Amino acid sequence: MKKMMTALAIAAGLASPLAAQDWPSGTVSIVVPYSPSGNTDILARHMAPYLEEKWGQPVVIDNRPGGGSMVGTAQVSQANPDGLTLLVTTSAFVTAPAIQPDLPFDPRTDLTPIANVGYVSYILVTQGDSPFDTLEELVADSKENPKFAATAGLGTTTHFAIEQFIAQSGANFDVVHFKGGGPAVVAILSGEADIYGSSVSSAGDNIASGKVKVLAVLGNDRIDALPDVPSTAELGYPETEIHQWVGVFAPGGTDPEIVAKINADINEVLRNEEFIAKVTPLDWTLEQSTPEGFAAEVDQELTSWKKLAEDQGISK
Amino acid sequence: MDFFSNLALGLGVAFTLQNLFYCFLGALLGTLVGVIPGLGVLAAISMLFPLTFHLEPTTALIMLAGIWYGTTYGGSTASILLNLPGTPANAVTCLDGYPMAKQGRGGIALFMTTVASFFGASFGIILLTLFTPIIADYALRFGSAEYFALMLMGLVASSTISEGSAIKGLASVTIGIVIGLVGMDTQTATVRFAFGNLGLLEGVSLIALAMGVFGVAEIIMSVRRVSAADIDPESVKLKAIVPTRDDVRRSWFPMLRGASMGSFFGTLPGTGPSIAAFLSYAVEKRISKTPERFGNGAIEGIMGPESANNAADQTAFIPTLSLGVPGSATMALMLGVLMIHGVAPGPNLISTEPELFWGLIMSFWVGNIILLLLNIPLIGLWVRMLTIPYHLLYPAVLMFICIGAYTSGFSPLNIWMVAAFGALGYAMRIFRFPGAPLLLGFVLGPLMEEHFRRAMVLARGDFTVFFERPISAVIMAITGLVLIWGVWSSEALRNKRRARAQAPETGRGAPGQAEEEAREGTN
Repeated sequence: MKKMMTALAIAAGLASPLAAQDWPSGTVSIVVPYSPSGNTDILARHMAPYLEEKWGQPVVIDNRPGGGSMVGTAQVSQANPDGLTLLVTTSAFVTAPAIQPDLPFDPRTDLTPIANVGYVSYILVTQGDSPFDTLEELVADSKENPKFAATAGLGTTTHFAIEQFIAQSGANFDVVHFKGGGPAVVAILSGEADIYGSSVSSAGDNIASGKVKVLAVLGNDRIDALPDVPSTAELGYPETEIHQWVGVFAPGGTDPEIVAKINADINEVLRNEEFIAKVTPLDWTLEQSTPEGFAAEVDQELTSWKKLAEDQGISK
Repeated sequence: MDFFSNLALGLGVAFTLQNLFYCFLGALLGTLVGVIPGLGVLAAISMLFPLTFHLEPTTALIMLAGIWYGTTYGGSTASILLNLPGTPANAVTCLDGYPMAKQGRGGIALFMTTVASFFGASFGIILLTLFTPIIADYALRFGSAEYFALMLMGLVASSTISEGSAIKGLASVTIGIVIGLVGMDTQTATVRFAFGNLGLLEGVSLIALAMGVFGVAEIIMSVRRVSAADIDPESVKLKAIVPTRDDVRRSWFPMLRGASMGSFFGTLPGTGPSIAAFLSYAVEKRISKTPERFGNGAIEGIMGPESANNAADQTAFIPTLSLGVPGSATMALMLGVLMIHGVAPGPNLISTEPELFWGLIMSFWVGNIILLLLNIPLIGLWVRMLTIPYHLLYPAVLMFICIGAYTSGFSPLNIWMVAAFGALGYAMRIFRFPGAPLLLGFVLGPLMEEHFRRAMVLARGDFTVFFERPISAVIMAITGLVLIWGVWSSEALRNKRRARAQAPETGRGAPGQAEEEAREGTN
């Protein structure tokens, strides 16, 4: 908090307005704390060319997977707060601290929320030639023959989603962690894991080619990208509604004017028709947000996930 | 898509103006780096790797790959003219190439090694094109246990087969793994070995490690070496490079055998171009009816090895691209490039990134043709390069290393790490610990840990999983054999040396030095 106060004080009185105007003065690297080809990575790569054009500087996507997204997040928390190192991450930003108490950074003060980009729903997928055609069959069989559920990493939203589903359905799934959605989908393809709470973009072409079978949409409603797939609520598992947001962060102490500029530029990309046409088939619901609004959302969720983790007994 | 439309797709990518340019640039830089003795391909790639941030992933890989196979072309130049191998993979070319140069046949040797290089590379590319997709298909059956076993085999093979003492190789791997452990644990984000230094949270930078252990250490080692070359310019004039009919007749089979052996050893983890070249030489000498000509300018002695090392350069891409498991330190760097550019190497690569995969492979043809064109008419230019004194060259290289290290993370800590790893690398050279296994351990260690832990979860804690699954069991058995053979043969070698040391020293000539160079192998 102290860093934030200092930053505010500097911004109020001393900072030269030139800082934000001159920004960016060099290559902007966007850290994605997951392996390539997961949905966060795909979204960031869709955004990068638009931002590059807007900023007149190269925008580099830097994948730093590991620790359920916490390795890349920690890296950005240590970076120079000049707005040239940004983080695009998921709601793992708020879920992971709930079960990983020893993180070497404080998610409230060491990172500055810039913009909430949007949401995706989760779909439960299994291998294309799996003998199970419905979610019920898989859940029923798991009680006899325990199954493996893949996650995108410890403490990520897919981890919470699958834990929540296990609690609701009484399925016998052992949880195995991978380094992001990309590797988790490969584990489904190779039959190493039996079920994964994926996003539409992580599963990608594998849905169309039939290599991956979609069993259900986690939540109350069907989604437009997959109109034929039932929701878990329809299948008799209420209260499994879970969304994953993706947001942009800067290191704590970044000049609020730079933060405001990045926020405005990102919002503009999110209104770009061409960009929208590219990402909506991937089941993205795009948002418009302010840094303050997003910060409040993050604060609130940090508290609520912690409580949920404690209630479900998965916190350390 | 069928095979031919894939090739067409690849050619379309390889022939864009931008990719052609970077392919040319890579081949040119590679030849340059290869010609200058001591400046290894690893140092060159790690130096130029930050420059590729601004390029498309395909273009970046095309350029870096050009540097990789280009060095092996250029490397024969210094071997032949100076009796100093440009890269370890060319060390064996000194044995017959230098005598040829002394006989005034240097131009012919340079020309013929370029032809052999092209032949070997072409052979390797054809295999790469045919087999990578098949292996990738098969690889989808690989689980964590198989990946762990495969990487273990890679580490054991690279530390026990490729260089001098197996025990020292294993020690290098271990140091590499320990350095790889620094930073946050990939599963639970627990911080390890950072000693409160927040800069170390994300771990040690691959670039800093490679530049220190290979680049800086190499420069320190080279400070007192030869300063400049004395070459007769007449011997490399264009008209002096036409081979005799006898040269051509003698070259066919060594090239073919060399290409086959090189292709095989390229795909194996831990071997690569140096071993392939050495074995090819040994085979040629063994089957020759006139083995006494070897070491005195036998053209077979340069054609086989040069064909082998270039074939190995190409096939080394097979496990890297299809499995995401790098077989050598250079391929580990290539893997790093792929990751930075957001491409996940592995069985899915060919289907998710067909343009990158086929474009890269087709660019290998383009690059090799460029190298053929670059090397033959420009032999004179490369020869002049050899006359630049090292004391002028190396400060510049050192400066580039520092800039590269800094810009790879905009962190001054990286420069300190380069210095520290430079000291480590120098110490390792002095005590004859090989550097390549260290880098491979660094890259593969964390991956192995991840796969090991996951395999344990999937097996519900049962260690026998590695020996029960058939693919994994076979790989583990091979690993065991490699380990036993490596330790046994290095013991045997030591005993032989000891015996030789007791005998009176009989003038150790240049070939001895070439052999030592190969032992330092950085393939």
